[in-house]
Amino acid sequence: MSSIERSERRTAFAFVAPALLWTLAFFLVPFGAMVLLSLAHLEGREIVQAYDLGNYIKIFTDPSLLKGIFVSLEITMTVTVISVLLAWPLAWIIATQVPARYQRLAIMLAVLPFWTSYVVRSYAWALVLGQNGVLMQWLIGIGLLDAPIQIMATRAATIIGFVHFFVMLLTLTIYANLIQLSPNYARAAADLGASGWQTLRLVILPLTLPGIMTGAFLTFVLCIGDYITPQILGGNNELSMPQLIMLQLGRRGDFPMASALSVVLMALVTLAYAATARWLKMDRV
Amino acid sequence: MRALGYIYLVAIFAFIFLPVIVLVLFSFQAGRLPVPPFDGPSLKWYAEVLNDRGLMEALRNSLFVALVSSSIALMLGFLAAQGLARVRLPGSVVMRGLLIAPMTVSYLIIALGLLSLFNGLGFRPSLWATGIGHVVINLPLCFAILFAAMGDHQKNAERAARDLGASELQVVALVTAPMLKPALLAAFFLSITFSWDEFIIAFLLTRFDVTLPVEIWSMLRSGLSPATNAIGSLVFLVSIVILIILELTVFRKSKS
Amino acid sequence: MKKTSAHAMAASGALLLLATAAQAEGEINALVWCDHTDPALLEPFEQAHDVKVNVKEYEGTAAGLAILDQSRPGDWDVMVIDTVDVGRAVDQGLLAALPGDMGTADFFPELVMADSNGRDGTIYAVTEKFGYNTIAYDKTKVDPADMGDLSILWSDKYAGRIAVYDYYLPVLGLIGLEQGVATADLTADSVESLRDRAYALKANARQVSDVVASQTALATGEVDILIGGGEWVTAVLSAENPALDWTVPSQGALRWSQSIAVLEDSENKDMATEFVKYIVSPEGQARLATSSCYWGMPANRAAGDVLTDDQKAALRWDNQDEYLANSQLYPTPDADLDLAMQDLWTDMLQQ
Repeated sequence: MSSIERSERRTAFAFVAPALLWTLAFFLVPFGAMVLLSLAHLEGREIVQAYDLGNYIKIFTDPSLLKGIFVSLEITMTVTVISVLLAWPLAWIIATQVPARYQRLAIMLAVLPFWTSYVVRSYAWALVLGQNGVLMQWLIGIGLLDAPIQIMATRAATIIGFVHFFVMLLTLTIYANLIQLSPNYARAAADLGASGWQTLRLVILPLTLPGIMTGAFLTFVLCIGDYITPQILGGNNELSMPQLIMLQLGRRGDFPMASALSVVLMALVTLAYAATARWLKMDRV
Repeated sequence: MRALGYIYLVAIFAFIFLPVIVLVLFSFQAGRLPVPPFDGPSLKWYAEVLNDRGLMEALRNSLFVALVSSSIALMLGFLAAQGLARVRLPGSVVMRGLLIAPMTVSYLIIALGLLSLFNGLGFRPSLWATGIGHVVINLPLCFAILFAAMGDHQKNAERAARDLGASELQVVALVTAPMLKPALLAAFFLSITFSWDEFIIAFLLTRFDVTLPVEIWSMLRSGLSPATNAIGSLVFLVSIVILIILELTVFRKSKS
Repeated sequence: MKKTSAHAMAASGALLLLATAAQAEGEINALVWCDHTDPALLEPFEQAHDVKVNVKEYEGTAAGLAILDQSRPGDWDVMVIDTVDVGRAVDQGLLAALPGDMGTADFFPELVMADSNGRDGTIYAVTEKFGYNTIAYDKTKVDPADMGDLSILWSDKYAGRIAVYDYYLPVLGLIGLEQGVATADLTADSVESLRDRAYALKANARQVSDVVASQTALATGEVDILIGGGEWVTAVLSAENPALDWTVPSQGALRWSQSIAVLEDSENKDMATEFVKYIVSPEGQARLATSSCYWGMPANRAAGDVLTDDQKAALRWDNQDEYLANSQLYPTPDADLDLAMQDLWTDMLQQ
């Protein structure tokens, strides 16, 4: 290795070092501190370090805590699937049906509500979905319903609130993927005798998998870790993992258990990452 | 096919805009409850919100945290991308993975980790602690955007500048940064958006000086009122205005 | 270029230093319930004493004590705490002795609660506000006569029209009353006997909700009955929705009361004590009673001279003798019973 190369490397490393140190000090080390804390116990009101798996055993044996894992997984999977199904056609229509010069406008419009405050968005859905809310009044007004049905304070409300946000996110990632595809693919497929539907299903759709998967993974991560949406819209009729974590913190002052639940949450996210990793382009989003 | 597409477009736009419309409409409610029937219009909730000391303080805090944390995240992310893009370092895949990793973790976990660490070290929760957390979530984003934007033509330009005797600092300041201006701006404004809107880290890591989302949350918890609609609508309005200004000035220019 | 990274490190170091800088002079830090965050309550005191009152909300004694544990000595000056839990804080040496004369002579006698607020003749806290956890309802939608009996909440008649207030102590206390268990007799065993009843209540309810969601649900007709509700939910909405009412059923109601105390580790005890005195003064009491988060009866009867007639009517000022006679105090669980009750509550939510 030449001395020029060596000095270049040294400079390059000096460039990377601050970011690495920051990530180390404020991401990896805190995560380690949390894992350590998850091995401790709350005894009375003292936190006693025990280095055992008591909290984890409790998570997987206590029906209420265990149910939290399933509630979170069910909600997150449902939200991810519905959001992809709604967002893909939207992104495709904008990318192919809307005239080019209006596309940027259409995309900006599609993500505009993203700029309302995140806490307020869930609250706004509570106003929409309520028993006497706008939606029910309107449905009754046009004669579709005789009496209001309960959506607010159910899992459906939580899912609607989530889907609203993630449709915006997924539309962006899928659209970004679609406009990078050369129109030649579609033309080639048509030349080879494929119908429009066949082209869509066999050519375009597989080519957008990276965009779908990147968006789906982000959806999974953000959705499974979210406290606000189920707390405002779910009516406490079931508890997701973030709600259980905040309950441990906010009411019981049980830091070790909150940490253990967070480590389990992290494990779920890691599993999702492993499942989607081959499509992900995380450093290209 | 096209007609069907437009019907879908309209339907989904209705879904996307429904809560925003309701939010804004009932911010003009005259009565105390932001539910139908609409009995406005009235601007009294806007007056109340603008005179709310706590909210305005929280707004300033949010701006401060967003600007400071985004600047740090941008600087660290830019340096790291520059370092990793220019030469093949041993372990660069690992380093890239580490830098990106916080993006794959829920904010709640980052918040709890920092809270455990700060408690252990005896640091009090504060806006600074929140800012540190926001750098953690925005650094991967800045790094990823800038790393993706760095290409060969820019490497060549840098090399040329260096051959002509430019110092490392000059190269970065006069060649790299201007070439990357669109990506730098995009990363910076995205970071500001995420920090501005972030709740759980700020909720767990602040004490008295809180950010806007935390203040709105405690407002929500302390009584139903169209004032919540008003502050939500104001935040939306300001964001949109900034977005349009950016779109018309900075980004349009940087594209051409 | 190394300079820049050095700057970055220096800056982050400075962040940490600043983060731990001592609190400014002329401030007191108070760990409170949400009614104490109302500027209308704090500003008169801040102006009179040229001091800033920093407030942080917490929910539930266990969480409040945990916050104190994780803080450093001197971080907090004042704390608002459930009157029945003052003893727990005294046991841990957290509270400072207060001057003998805190003006409790004007208080409702039942609310002085010297046994809870003091120990061995020393006063550690003063009651500031109280009210009832009972049944709140919309009198245009339910038969008010039904509301005289708690057990109606388990019948089919109002199924799906009930909200449960999301706080385990009062609601488990009420379920106990319905089962004939006095709050003082609740033990880890008897709590277990409430489990089925709690599940059945949840099954009959539409939602389990915090203060605001409860108010919203009642005010908008989402539900017609709130168990755990009382003046604190209806009074604040009395002008908007006069149909909202509350009552004390035949089995009785729970009386909540909150106390305010100065912390032993406070470095600003004089100002903290002044703040406590302000809160229990007639003016402070009137503002606290009608504070924006929730209303409640002032412990100091002298506040009656400051409150308006409408406010007093919304608080049911004239019925207090009768209500005080027919209400019991919150359960006072030790740490184990507290966890048992919380576990039961979490299980109920997850049903």
